[in-house]
Amino acid sequence: MLTKLSLAGIKNRFKDYLVLLTGLIISAAVFYMFANLATNREFVKSNTQISMASQVFIFGMILLILITIVYIAYANSFLLSMRQHDYGLFMMLGAKKNRIGELVFIETLLIGVISTIVGIVLGIGMSMGLSQILFNQLGLTVHHFNALYWPAIVTTICLYVGLFLLSGIFNLTKLVRTPVLKLLHIDDEVYLPKRRPLVQLTEIVAGILLLAIGYVAMAKIMTLQLLAVPLALVTITLGSYLLFSAVIVGAVELLKQTNFANKKLHNFTLAQIMFRVRSYTRILTIVSLLFALALGAISVGAGFQRQAPQMAKSTSAYTMAINDMDKKEHNLVSQLNDTHTLTYSQKIVGNTVYYNEQEFVDHPLPMLDSRQALNDGSLKTLPIAQFKKVALNDMDFTGLVPKNGQQKSEFATQSDFENLNTATTHTVTIIRLNNVLAQRKILDRLEKLQQQRFPAPTMATVGGFQTYKMFNALFSGLEFMGFFLGFAFLAMLASCLMFKILSGANKDVVRYNMLNRIGTRRVLMKQAVRGEILTLFALPGILGIVDVLFGLQVFKPLMYHPNAMTGWSILIFCVLYGVYYGITTLIYERLVIPKEQMNA
Amino acid sequence: MQKTPVVSVSGLHKTYGRKNEQQYEALKGIDFTIDEGEFVGIMGASGSGKTTLLNLLSTLDTPTSGSVEVNGQDITGFKGKALSDFRSEEIGFIFQDFNLLESLTAKENIALPLSLQGVKKAEISKAVKEVATTLSIENLLSKYPTELSGGQKQRVAAARAIVHRPAIIMGDEPTGALDSKSARDLLDLMTDINKNQHVSVLLVTHDPFSASFCDRILFIQDGQIGQELKKADNNRQTFYQEILNQLGTFEQ
Repeated sequence: MLTKLSLAGIKNRFKDYLVLLTGLIISAAVFYMFANLATNREFVKSNTQISMASQVFIFGMILLILITIVYIAYANSFLLSMRQHDYGLFMMLGAKKNRIGELVFIETLLIGVISTIVGIVLGIGMSMGLSQILFNQLGLTVHHFNALYWPAIVTTICLYVGLFLLSGIFNLTKLVRTPVLKLLHIDDEVYLPKRRPLVQLTEIVAGILLLAIGYVAMAKIMTLQLLAVPLALVTITLGSYLLFSAVIVGAVELLKQTNFANKKLHNFTLAQIMFRVRSYTRILTIVSLLFALALGAISVGAGFQRQAPQMAKSTSAYTMAINDMDKKEHNLVSQLNDTHTLTYSQKIVGNTVYYNEQEFVDHPLPMLDSRQALNDGSLKTLPIAQFKKVALNDMDFTGLVPKNGQQKSEFATQSDFENLNTATTHTVTIIRLNNVLAQRKILDRLEKLQQQRFPAPTMATVGGFQTYKMFNALFSGLEFMGFFLGFAFLAMLASCLMFKILSGANKDVVRYNMLNRIGTRRVLMKQAVRGEILTLFALPGILGIVDVLFGLQVFKPLMYHPNAMTGWSILIFCVLYGVYYGITTLIYERLVIPKEQMNA
Repeated sequence: MQKTPVVSVSGLHKTYGRKNEQQYEALKGIDFTIDEGEFVGIMGASGSGKTTLLNLLSTLDTPTSGSVEVNGQDITGFKGKALSDFRSEEIGFIFQDFNLLESLTAKENIALPLSLQGVKKAEISKAVKEVATTLSIENLLSKYPTELSGGQKQRVAAARAIVHRPAIIMGDEPTGALDSKSARDLLDLMTDINKNQHVSVLLVTHDPFSASFCDRILFIQDGQIGQELKKADNNRQTFYQEILNQLGTFEQ
């Protein structure tokens, strides 16, 4: 009988359960996607030549597990807040506490198991979809990636079912221990924000100082070395916390003095925010950090990937050298846009390749300004005498020989060159183009044709395209992981925030009901909900973005423009974050805003 | 002397339940009027239909048939914005459980109806101050509801109900959660508002003591108005006895 009653209760609040289940399913799916990468050692090994990669993944995994714990705790409190009144009622009607405990336990576990299983299935689908998009759209090459990976499935099930077992035990003890009357009247614990300007000021100053220390630590990573990261993590966390608690209260108080507060429901919204600051400060801090981590992961991943063309430019003065260009190749080259081509004659005697000096006087071969790491790829042309000296030791020049095993390059004056008695004169054509990425397909075909005609044991072609392909392969793995990490973090943090907000809804029902009774337009109530939730979403988002802008300085020694992709990733991020905001607002409005009339 | 009615109700029916289900008729044809400046009580036992009636008068619910006019407008057809605007402009509510927002100070709670109407800040401050002086709650303005006693909360609620000068104040058992001293204070206050500010009051109650403060009492029983009692020139004590007698006859 009791089981029937409790099932009826679920039926009545089916939509709320749907919200809960959807959230949990997404969380499980995201966790699975991440676990899929993290537990796949071969994948990590084969896609990063960096020894740090597996540590990065372990670190990410721990973080994600922590978020999952927080997330499930919030989801569980949402579940409990929905059910405690019902169960209190059953107990009042004489149901045994043990029986109720049993029911709660089973309900919690059932929800957990269902969402985990559906989540894993969804996760497999999402892994397939996302990897397809990344492979096809971005030209990434990734090895050893399987959408369906058993160790990841086992890990996900273990974590989720384990956590739900714990939640079930928690709910059981909580319901059994709480007096029935308290379950029936869960009153709002009222928190009166105290006005202590001095404390607030100290908090603001300390918060800003701590943040500054953290940002500086990251910028000075060259001098501080590894110490920078933990130092920054601690100071930024503390700083964000202090800043949130002080600034929100301060800003709300300031706003309350203005005319703005007296308009419409503004005063109500401000009060709502003020009242929730304390319970929200912690989650806002966590969310801002996660936001930064997620955004950072995507920016860095994408940034590395984007820098492959730049790296290609900095390692060679030209994109590709084509020996004895034939008709097919000529056609392909003419399809390339924005190119500079130079052609030089070659004559081969024995083991030596001769060049006509005059051709280099007429059309000098540009050389790299600098061969240092992270150079900007700018070129220079040298006077012929100097060029002749430098060129014979320069890879770009010595690499121009046909790949038939000849080793030596020599310059000859025009008359000497003409007098060289060889059957054929060879040519080498140098292509330099600005946009390697966009025209990589043509370049690929050119390279293949060259490889067929000049099979070489070591290097297929010389020039920047070769480097580009190498780095592209290397960074693809990084970008792939960056996106995965980033989206996993984002989905989790936004869901966390969503549930934290939603679990407060039942306290708001009374407030909005009252507002409705005294004649508040629905539009105004909706605006109030949107404004309040927007604040809770926007604050950590903004601080997260600031964190990222400073945090990316850490990568300065490794990257050209650590912030190059930040704009894009912020945009993508804000869109996704905005979707979460929209969903939360819609659900919240549905939960708290009453109908104007009882039977309308 | 012919006064214009603030509220006029005619042929009001309310039936709960859908057509093919079991139906329950909560109101079976109610007619009455409230004149401007009148203090009218509606009495009845639990289940007599008084809450239903109040919900219909305050547009929280819609009647099955019949009409309700407030200040000359038929309110039964109101929808959406018009509905909320009517509530916020024409009606002042006082509820049994105060219905103050615990996140706002007393002052902000009182100012809420004016903010909703888009009144300017200076005017709001002035109006709140005025009403606070009238109700002697100036020293409570900066406090939060949790820092106030029940009686003080209900005073703040009363201030919120009259600050925007509504056509009528509707009280739903406003003394229900108060001790006898606070209840008497509140009723005196409502009488004072009624007499000196000329605001009409409609009080729904089942408590004879509260009812004895009214000018006229409508007894509602099983969805119909059974009796009407007028205070006329009686003092409150005599009127109280009269009400008790009237209730006594209902019991039999």
